[in-house]
Amino acid sequence: MIAALMDRLRQGDRNALARLISHAARGEYLAEIQAGILPSPSAKNARVVAFTGSGGVGKSSLIGKLIPLLRNQNHKIAVLASDPESPLTGGALLGDRFRMGSQADDGVFIRSLAALSGHGALADHLDVMIRLLEAFGFDVVFLETVGSGQGDVQVRDFSDVVVLLLQPESGDDVQWEKAGILECADVIVVHKADLPTADQTAAQVQMALDLSPSRHVPVVRVSTKANQGLAELWQAIESLPLRRKDTSAAALLCQSAVDWLEKCFHEAEEAGDPELKRTVDAWQRSELTIADATREIVRIATNTSEPEA
Amino acid sequence: MDRPIRIVLAKVGLDGHDRGIKVVARALRDAGMHVIYAGLWQTPEAVVRTLVDEDADWLGLSLLSGAHMTLVPRVLDMMKQAKVEHIGVMVGGIIPEADIPKLQALGVAKIFGPGTSLDDIVAFLNQPREPKP
Repeated sequence: MIAALMDRLRQGDRNALARLISHAARGEYLAEIQAGILPSPSAKNARVVAFTGSGGVGKSSLIGKLIPLLRNQNHKIAVLASDPESPLTGGALLGDRFRMGSQADDGVFIRSLAALSGHGALADHLDVMIRLLEAFGFDVVFLETVGSGQGDVQVRDFSDVVVLLLQPESGDDVQWEKAGILECADVIVVHKADLPTADQTAAQVQMALDLSPSRHVPVVRVSTKANQGLAELWQAIESLPLRRKDTSAAALLCQSAVDWLEKCFHEAEEAGDPELKRTVDAWQRSELTIADATREIVRIATNTSEPEA
Repeated sequence: MDRPIRIVLAKVGLDGHDRGIKVVARALRDAGMHVIYAGLWQTPEAVVRTLVDEDADWLGLSLLSGAHMTLVPRVLDMMKQAKVEHIGVMVGGIIPEADIPKLQALGVAKIFGPGTSLDDIVAFLNQPREPKP
């Protein structure tokens, strides 16, 4: 069943994508799905951007404004929006997508997810969902967290860029000295920048950031209401490198080669391979350059074993 | 059902009365369902796209505008085109008696008029259904 869904997904069947994401969200058939997402040479890693910040700061509205901006640049965008699930009833009101505009555009996919209580600010198995979206051809994935507070740092593991939204009147300058999310943010948005105290908030945050000069974190003032700062924000996001592990076909093969070589080397070392020992000794006595010694140990190690199927 | 029901609630067309749908959304949430609130002024195209992307089990449409005989059939047609006709449809709002059998003949599973108790809606959705394809 999963294999058939994966075939349909590769043929661009949106219903299959949606169903596979449901399975992933419920933690069903995870191994089969993972195995089915074979890297294809054309599949590229998406840029995964997480939006976090307290409830009501404007995460959904901001995403709703970025979608048309990115569609104009021919990006295909998927949004995984998490909202809390009740610890008492298991119910959830998933109310993010209605702020993201109502479109029937093939280049936009929005999925609302319930985040189980106590599991942090994101729904489970997001990594699998992101790979499904990449396999379908989305090149930008937005993650929206549950409106959350100061310790919501798990988003970093899933995303290339973490955008933290703050709003005016949300604390004095000591708030920005606290450890946690501010340290993990790659871009900071002072949202609702049409409000009069936005400049003050931006200045306070900038001052706190300047105390760690080794890390440059742009602070962008954005108002979705006044359509301000959106292009600047995307520019700041786009200029950052992709942090997640490269999962392209070439990168996966390269990793497999590295793993195999390492295994061969350790086997040869444990077996006390005399050639290997001679090479290491010769290098230590400076009789071989590091380049020659490297070439030699690759030859020795790969002589004795074959990669496993 | 061992997993929460996923239901999309939406208003189609030019109809700004969303008090009722919000009350229903809250009741279904408290009954343990996952409610995807799509909100006001949706086009049939956008509603059906939401159903596909959200892999929903149910759609609840609310209409108080009198346009139900135009908009509901359009949504049902588009659901067939998008191959999501397995998703159950319920309609709420101001639907004249005479139109109820017509909508049911088109494939609407249930119509809830004014005065419906929230418990009735919850009980209806909690009835066992055939597993979807």
